[in-house]
Amino acid sequence: MTAVAAPPGAALRSGIGYWWHSYLMMVRWEMTSLRVVLVITIMIQILSGAGFVLALGLFFGRVPGRAALFVSTGVLVITLVQIGLVLGPQLIAQQKAEKTYDFLWSLPVPRTTAALGWVTTNLVMGLPGMAVALGVALLRYDLDLRVSWALVPAVLLTLFTGTMVGYALAHALGNPMVTVAITQLLIFLIIGFSPINFPAEQLPGWLAALHRWLPLAPMADTVRAGLTYGVVEDLTGSYLVLGAWAVAACGVTGASLGRKG
Amino acid sequence: MVAAAPAALRRGAPYWLAGLGAMLRFDLVSSREWLAVLFIVQVLMGAGMAIIYGFYLGDMPVQAATFVATGAPTLAVIPLGMTLSPQLVASRKIEGTYDFVWSLPVPRAMAALSSFVIFTALAIPGFVITLLIAWWRYDLALAVSWWVVPAVLLTSLMSASVGFAMGHAIANPAITGVLTNLVIFVALMFSPIAFPIENFPGWLAAAHRVLPFWHMANVVRASLARGLVSDVWVSYLVLGGWTVGAWAAAAWAVGRRR
Repeated sequence: MTAVAAPPGAALRSGIGYWWHSYLMMVRWEMTSLRVVLVITIMIQILSGAGFVLALGLFFGRVPGRAALFVSTGVLVITLVQIGLVLGPQLIAQQKAEKTYDFLWSLPVPRTTAALGWVTTNLVMGLPGMAVALGVALLRYDLDLRVSWALVPAVLLTLFTGTMVGYALAHALGNPMVTVAITQLLIFLIIGFSPINFPAEQLPGWLAALHRWLPLAPMADTVRAGLTYGVVEDLTGSYLVLGAWAVAACGVTGASLGRKG
Repeated sequence: MVAAAPAALRRGAPYWLAGLGAMLRFDLVSSREWLAVLFIVQVLMGAGMAIIYGFYLGDMPVQAATFVATGAPTLAVIPLGMTLSPQLVASRKIEGTYDFVWSLPVPRAMAALSSFVIFTALAIPGFVITLLIAWWRYDLALAVSWWVVPAVLLTSLMSASVGFAMGHAIANPAITGVLTNLVIFVALMFSPIAFPIENFPGWLAAAHRVLPFWHMANVVRASLARGLVSDVWVSYLVLGGWTVGAWAAAAWAVGRRR
């Protein structure tokens, strides 16, 4: 610690060293303030991820290979994004309700480090559930998975976009109750009405068309492409849509935080 | 209107009836803000799940679609009695109004009865709407019989009773919260409500012959379609057992606090 903690002063208030130091402080801040929630969330993520994979067998009786492949890879995406899209906004709504929100933004760190600290915390919360769900799926079903390096950027971009969209939502909406209601609907939308756990052909045409422009289907496509071979087409389009959502979410967050500064 | 001189009314049927009427009014008025939300939750859970299961399963044979459609109304009943009713009791404990409700000058049995009546009645619109939506979505030839009336009344009374007993018997509201979430999770993902029990591994199927979820689905399904359920009277008996058991637990929990 002593190596990082330089004496405070004018010299440190800018530059990459200051930024990096602030980022580490914010990651520590998030992890420490969430320590109980962190453990519980990781456990819930593991249980619900594995539960989903196993419940599929009860839905079908004999599970068709394609359905098993879709759910097993889709569950990973759901574990990755539900923290950022659902839990994150709810935590921020709670901070607003408890009036600790303004205090957090008064901390002497660049705001980008606060955002990235939160993204990092999400990664820590999301990865264990994702790994366990994948392991359970491999044990339970006879899956034809081919893991490639494309999984790494796909997971990182999916997590980053999910977290930032949730972040933008929570910061832009004033009323915490509205935030909570929207995130509850989002769970429903993510699990039930998005082509994440099942192929888009199984949705009505208009909904499938809509999903080409929403971030959820591209998230599923990019992650699935990193795990399988020949299941996903038009990956470039998915990355572009996902990237656009990430940029837009950062823009909205920046605008609403700047407004409050 | 009903209110005669207080001393004369402190016993007997009229006093109990007046107590029930007052508690019904009290419960309805204190939950009026919730009514719309309750209804939405029910329809989402019932009709929403019926549609979602369809997306997951893709092209379904008629038999599977009938199972999903006749399971959906049961799913709509569960959240009301088994999760929202105990959560309402838990929130009274958190807010500190729990003891106040028990201090009201009505027999406690009437307070319990009022909760059963309200949660049983509130389940009916969600049940009907869910059935209609599932019916429309899957375009099935259902054979709705008069048995649907006792089926819906018993399933919703049973879940209202179990929920009431849970809310009152469990002292810590946080545990009630966790348990109710668990009930939803088990009902939606690990119960033979929208799927045949034959799909389940032996131990889980055995557990579901004792738990109420499968039996709820059975009595409802038997009243909506022909030939899918055999020995439905066993399910009526099991549900009756759960209801009476819940009443006993509730009587113990409520009497204990005197």
